[in-house]
Amino acid sequence: MIKFDRRLIKSFDWMTFGIIVTLTLIGIMTIASATRPAIEGADRPDFYLKQIVWLCVSLCALFIIVAFDYVWLQRFAYVFYGIGLVLLLVVLVAGKTSLGAQRWISIGPLTFQPSEFFRLAFIAGFSAYLTSGVAGGLGRLTWPGVFFFAVLPMALIVKQPDLGTAILLFSLFVVLCLVKGLSRKLIAGVLVLGMIALPFFGHIFWEGLKEYQKNRLVAFLDPEVDPSGIGYQINQSKITIGSGGLVGKGYMQGTQGPLRFLPEKHTDFIFAVFAEEWGFLGSLVLMALYLMLFMRGLDTALKAKDDYGRLVAAGITAMFFVYFTVNISMTLGMMPVVGVPLPFVSYGGTALLSNFIAAGILICIRTRRFELFYPHIW
Amino acid sequence: MNRRGMVLVAIISVAFIAVVVRLADIMVMNHDWFLAKARGQQTKQENIPVKRGIIYDRMGRELAVNLETESVFCDPAEISAHDDVAKSLSRELGSDARVVLTKLNADKRFYWVERKVELARAQRIRDMKLKGIGFIPELKRYYPKGSLASHVVGFVNSDNTGLEGIERELDKQLSTQTEKLTKGKDARGQTLSEGSMKELKGNDVVLTVDEGLQHIVEKNLDEIMAKWHAASATIIMMNPHTGEILALANRPAYNLNNASGTSMQKLRNRAITDSYEPGSTFKVVVGSAALEEGTVNSRSMFDCSAGTVEVGGRRIKDDHRNGVLSFEEVIQKSSNVGTIKIGLGLGKQRVYDYVKKFGFGERTGIDLAGEVSGLVRHPDKWSGMSIGAISIGQEIAVTPLQVLRAYAVIANGGLLVKPHVVAEIRTPQGQQVYRANNEKERVLSEKTAIAFRSILKRVTEEGGTAKSASIDGNQVAGKTGTAQLFDQRTKRYSKERYVSSFVGFVPADDPRIAMIVVVHEPKGAIYGGVVAGPAFKAIANESLSYLSVPRDDQRERGLLLVSNRERVYP
Repeated sequence: MIKFDRRLIKSFDWMTFGIIVTLTLIGIMTIASATRPAIEGADRPDFYLKQIVWLCVSLCALFIIVAFDYVWLQRFAYVFYGIGLVLLLVVLVAGKTSLGAQRWISIGPLTFQPSEFFRLAFIAGFSAYLTSGVAGGLGRLTWPGVFFFAVLPMALIVKQPDLGTAILLFSLFVVLCLVKGLSRKLIAGVLVLGMIALPFFGHIFWEGLKEYQKNRLVAFLDPEVDPSGIGYQINQSKITIGSGGLVGKGYMQGTQGPLRFLPEKHTDFIFAVFAEEWGFLGSLVLMALYLMLFMRGLDTALKAKDDYGRLVAAGITAMFFVYFTVNISMTLGMMPVVGVPLPFVSYGGTALLSNFIAAGILICIRTRRFELFYPHIW
Repeated sequence: MNRRGMVLVAIISVAFIAVVVRLADIMVMNHDWFLAKARGQQTKQENIPVKRGIIYDRMGRELAVNLETESVFCDPAEISAHDDVAKSLSRELGSDARVVLTKLNADKRFYWVERKVELARAQRIRDMKLKGIGFIPELKRYYPKGSLASHVVGFVNSDNTGLEGIERELDKQLSTQTEKLTKGKDARGQTLSEGSMKELKGNDVVLTVDEGLQHIVEKNLDEIMAKWHAASATIIMMNPHTGEILALANRPAYNLNNASGTSMQKLRNRAITDSYEPGSTFKVVVGSAALEEGTVNSRSMFDCSAGTVEVGGRRIKDDHRNGVLSFEEVIQKSSNVGTIKIGLGLGKQRVYDYVKKFGFGERTGIDLAGEVSGLVRHPDKWSGMSIGAISIGQEIAVTPLQVLRAYAVIANGGLLVKPHVVAEIRTPQGQQVYRANNEKERVLSEKTAIAFRSILKRVTEEGGTAKSASIDGNQVAGKTGTAQLFDQRTKRYSKERYVSSFVGFVPADDPRIAMIVVVHEPKGAIYGGVVAGPAFKAIANESLSYLSVPRDDQRERGLLLVSNRERVYP
C-alpha cells in the first residue's frame, strides 16, 4: 500500500491523543460505577464493557485517519456533506422515534444518529466551501452558500427536532466564518438578524417543540415548579453534584445513580456521577483536561499548514467545546436540559467513534503541519 | 496569535470561569444542603410493627393473640397490565376484580390492595411475580375463641388500635410507643437496606374472667334468648369476696374476628351501659338497712292483708294477697306492701343513705369503658310517693353490675367490693406492673349480712318466689325481680314489656360465686322466678362442679374437696 513514514511517529500529537484516551478511560470507569446495581451481588449491566470494545474500534479508526494526509477530506467534502443531508432526510422519513424526536436509524444490529455523521460532514463541507473561492474571496458569502450550509440543514434538524445539533450548527457556522475571516460586519449582521428573527421564528420554533422539550425549558426557568416532574432531572443532577463536596464520596461510592434517582446517569448526566464520586477537586482535574484539549485544538488551527486544515481544526475544536459547555451547563442547571452527551466520557458507541474520528482529523492536521514542504503521501 | 484567535480564547475562558464558579457554588458552598437532600430522599422512616400484648383468662388461656400476616400494596405507576394484574389478584384474594382494579388505578404511588393476608396466600401472590405489587409484614389481632367474652375482650381496628373492651381500655398497656426505623431506599421506594429490627412488644394482660365459666354462662344465655325470644339479656358472675368478674356476657353479641361494622346494638356492654328499674331485687337495700338500723328485727310483723298501701297519693298493690307477714316473709314472698312499710319505717334520709352506701347512682369503677352511673335522685327532689317507689325498686335506674355488687355485700359479710376484670398486667419479660388490689368498704355489719343471707336463702325454698333457682346439693340465696319497663312515649309503665331478673349467690353459707341474670322483654312469661331463675340454677350447677365446689351435704360428712382450679387474686 504505502510506505510508512517514520516522521509520523516523531511529530504525532501525543498530547491530544493522551487527553482523549484519558477522558475515555475516565468515562468507562464512571460508566461502570454509575450503572452498578444498588444491591450487592446483583448483575452488573455490561455498558462499560461495550464502551471498551468501542474504544478499541475508535482507536483503530483514529490511527487509520492519522496515517493519511487529510486532503482526501477536502477532496470528498461535498460528497460527505451530500450524504449527510440525505441521511438527515432519511431519518425524518424512516427514523426511529426516541422521546418523541426522530433521531435514529438502524442498520442491522446497529442504531446510530445521522447527526453524528452530519456534524463532521458539515465541518468538512463548509470548510471546503469557504476555502474554495466559490465563496467569492474574502468577506463575501453568496446566497446559495447560505442556503446550502445554513438554511437547509437547520430546517432539517429543527424538523426532527434536535435542539443540541441545532445549537452546534449555529455555533459552527459563526466560528468558521470568524476563523475564515469574513468581515466582522457580516458576522455581526448575521447575529443581529438572528436576534431579530428569533421573536418571529421563536413562536414557530416553540410550537414545533415536543412536549418534553417545552417542559425542560419551563423546568430550567424554575426547577421548583414541579420537583418530582419536569424539574426532576435538573434537581437530581444538582443534588448529585452538590452531595459530592470538596473531595467526593470516592470511586464506586456514589449513591444517586445506582439508587436510580439520577436519570440518564451513564449518558447525558455522567458528569454528575463523576462529580459526586471525585468531588470539586476531581471535577477541576476533568475541567483542566478539557481546557487543554481546546487550547491544543486552537493551537493546531493556528499552526495548520493550510487554510482548510485551519478551518477544520477550529470547527472540530468548536464542536467539542460546544458539546462540553452545553452538557456541563445543563447538569449544573445553568441551561435547559438539552440531550447532549459529554464528549468521550458519556456512554455511547457511535458517538465515541465519531468523536475519535474528529480527534483523529485534528491530530492529523497537527502531525502534518510541516508537510507543506514535502510531497503528499496520498 | 491574531485578534480572532484571542476572541475564541476569551470565549473559552469565560465559559470555564462560569462553570468553575458554578461548581464551587454547588459543590463547596452549598454542599451540606445538597447532601442533606440526597440523604433525605435515599432513606425512609418506617414504623416498627408493635406486637400487642396477649390477653389471657385467669388460668392463662389465650383470648387475644397475634397472627403474622402480610399486607399487599401496589404502586400503580409500576403496573403495566392493570386488568390482568387485577384479575390474578382478585382470584387469589377472593374479591371482586373491579374493586381491585380501582385500587390499582389509584392516583398515588402507594395504595393498599388488601390488609393482613395469611402468609400462605401472600406467598402465592408473591410467586406470581407481579410488577408493582409489594408486601409489608403486619401483625393481625386474632381472637381464638371467636365471640366468647366479646364485650370484655373487645377488638382492634386495622391499625391495631383498640376500639372496644379491654383492647380499648388498656390500649396503652397492650401496645407500646412505636419506634421509627431508618431504611435505605431507591428512587422507586424499594427498600434496599433493613435497619436493625428491634422487637416491640406490649404488655400482657391477665383477666379475672375464667374461660370455662364464661363458656357455661354464654351457653345458657343463648338458651334464654332462644327460649324466651328476649330483646336482650345479661349475665354477670363475680367472686363476691374480691369483686373479680368471673364471667360477663350480653346478648346480642358479635364475633371478635369479624367485628368491623358491627351495630351499636351488638357492641353495647349492657352489663354496665344499660340502666333499668330493678324492681324487687332492689328490696335488699331497704331490707338490710332496716336490720342494720334496728328498725325491724326477725320478730317484726307486717299486716299486708289489705293487699295495697297508699304512699303520697298512689296505691301500690301486691301481686298476691298475703296475710300478716313476718319480716323474713316480706322478703321471701317479695311483698311490695310489706317492703314499703319497712321503707317508711326507715324514713327518707336513711333510705337514700343506704341506696348510696350500696353504690347505686355511681359508677362501680370497673375497668371497662362505657359504664354509666344509673340514676338516684336526691331526697329534695323526691315526690310524696318516691320513698315507696324506691323501696320496691322503682323511680331509680341501676345497672346489672350495681345490683350484683349489692348482693355481694350480703354474700361476703357486709363489704362493698370493686368489680374488675383485670387481674394482672405484666411486661413481655414477665415482670408484674399492675395487680388488682381488691379494695372493699364496709357498708353493713357482718351480723346483719349473715342474718339477711339466711332470709335470702328462704327465697329459693318452699314458699319463696324462686323455687326454680334452688339446686340439688348446695343452697342458693337470691332474689327475683320483675319490673315493668317505663314507656318513654306513653309515660306509663308498659303492660307487655318487662325486665325479669334473678340475682343471688351460691353456696349460700360459703359463697363462691355471685351472679345476676337479667332478661329484657321475655315473651311468654314475665316473672323473674320463671324466666331468670332456671337459668341461674343451670349455670350455678355447672359452675360449681366446674369449680369442684363440694356439695353442702358432703362438707358435713367431711368430704371436703380442695379445688386447684380457683386462683384468687390475691
